[in-house]
Amino acid sequence: MEALVQSIFSGILLGGLYAVVGVGLSIVFGIMGLTNIAHGNMMIMCSFLIMVFGTMCGGNIIVMLLLAVVCVVVFGFLFQNFLVNKVIDKGANPALLVTFGISIVIQNVLTLIFGADSRSLQNAFSTKNIVSTEWLSISGGYLLDFIVAVIVILALSFFIKNTRIGRAIRASSNDVRAAELMGVNTKMMYTVTMCIAMVTACIAGLLVGQTFVFYPYSGPQYLIIAFGVVVIGGMGSIPGTLLGGIILGLAQLLGSHFFGPGYQVFCGYIVMLILLTVCPAGLLGNAKRK
Amino acid sequence: MNTNLREQTNKSKLTKIISFIVIIAVLAIFPHVGSDYGRNILILIFLYMAIGHMWNLLAGYTGLVSLGMQAFIGISGYVLALVVQVNGLPIALAFVVAAVIAILFALLISLPIFKMKGVYFTIGTWIIAEALYVFFVNWKFVNFGIGYNITAAYRMNMNAFYYMCMIIGIIATLIVVVILRSKMGLALMAMRDNEDAAEMRGVRLYRTKLFCFLVASVMTAITGVALYLNLATIRPGPAFSIDWTVAMCFIVIIGGIGTIEGPIIGAIIYVLLTQFLYSFPGYSNLILGIIAVALILAAPKGIMGYLEDRFGFDIFGIRRRL
Repeated sequence: MEALVQSIFSGILLGGLYAVVGVGLSIVFGIMGLTNIAHGNMMIMCSFLIMVFGTMCGGNIIVMLLLAVVCVVVFGFLFQNFLVNKVIDKGANPALLVTFGISIVIQNVLTLIFGADSRSLQNAFSTKNIVSTEWLSISGGYLLDFIVAVIVILALSFFIKNTRIGRAIRASSNDVRAAELMGVNTKMMYTVTMCIAMVTACIAGLLVGQTFVFYPYSGPQYLIIAFGVVVIGGMGSIPGTLLGGIILGLAQLLGSHFFGPGYQVFCGYIVMLILLTVCPAGLLGNAKRK
Repeated sequence: MNTNLREQTNKSKLTKIISFIVIIAVLAIFPHVGSDYGRNILILIFLYMAIGHMWNLLAGYTGLVSLGMQAFIGISGYVLALVVQVNGLPIALAFVVAAVIAILFALLISLPIFKMKGVYFTIGTWIIAEALYVFFVNWKFVNFGIGYNITAAYRMNMNAFYYMCMIIGIIATLIVVVILRSKMGLALMAMRDNEDAAEMRGVRLYRTKLFCFLVASVMTAITGVALYLNLATIRPGPAFSIDWTVAMCFIVIIGGIGTIEGPIIGAIIYVLLTQFLYSFPGYSNLILGIIAVALILAAPKGIMGYLEDRFGFDIFGIRRRL
């Protein structure tokens, strides 16, 4: 019984982490209809960047994160402006394959620079137990994952709904030509979207690093998690990613509770497939698809 | 005028047939005159060409972009290991069993994944392959994550293996040509270009897609057995790795998606390039990735698409010209 309660709580908190991993993929898909296959590898790249800045200037996690954010926003700008925007008008496949190629490049560059060893961003806070009763114990890392997830998702929803740029972004996702006639530079909005997605990837990279260990080739594994979160919640729906993350986290930890730890990931996949079959547009997704 | 044109097409048909016969004859006598290294390279080219064709059939003609074809390669590799290594049965049986299991598995997964469309299908197939990987790592029947060495592969006659791979490559090409020249080929292209319009004109979407998916699965599985005879060792990680689909994808894109000649050219380039890049360990995939991105930006339709647009170059003639 204690173990079950522990699994449920950890599952929900882990779901927060998964939601942050997935939200970047979700907005990129929702705004420009592009499935960014490089998302997982970009996130792991952010983890490595934070690690590098950590060893360079030591200590302060906020400074590390800010430095990494600046770097990856520049990267996202270059990636979107000079690669994806060039092919995005030529149908879905070329852009998809560009991100695929970039994902292979990132993974191999990381392996070349950092080797195949496992790395971690764990610190004193993330391993300390914040809540510790006989029923359940929650580590600081997991709690931070969930809190940051809620903040990120609320902030993103607010940004997309209520700001001027957010409106322009939504306009370019609804109707490219009409938006352009109204004076919106849609390609620029795509670039802004990609930069926002990179910021979330950076936050996700930090959270993943302080919760688990990561390798240069962990990217695809988190990409599948991000896909799962996004398809469960509904492609393009920002609150949906939080719901999707929690469902996936619960599925994994309950699966591991009932069938043994070897089947943790497997149960997550099975739940994803079942939900995809039963509810192909996702739980909170609107029927409209690009 | 008209007879003139017909004479011309007949002539070019004759040249085509003669050049095909010459190419096949050269390939057939190659193992007796060429080096062992050249023979092994050709084996790889035939096999990668076969899986490239199958991925092209799905992505280029049917519109089913699958990132999960490695599931069939992994399954057939394990079938080979279990049939030949564990039970000591002949290799030929492994091909039959792999084909049967591939059909059954494809039918089973077609129930959920054919409800998904577009990018959901792509993701769904990938999730299935990853789920299989996790399942095989935890499955005692297949020796967990340790896998097997397929020692029977060492005792194989390499020349016979060469001919087998050549036949697999040729059959894969023929299957695609025959399907595309038939009525179904027309239906496929209509479906890829506009699903709703095709359905209105009486194309049975589900049946056509399922047929292509089954064909691609079986052929990929059969090629997978040959690939693992060549590798002679199997573990779940590499067997269900996305790298197989990366290779197929690369071959088809470089050669030209939606063309028959594309996977052939792509496979030749891919195999030669990977062989060349073995001298730069660590950089090989990196360079492949950069080449793929550069090529998509420069020639989104691949080498064959570029040649076709530029010079009207078309060997197999599966297009119906108005």
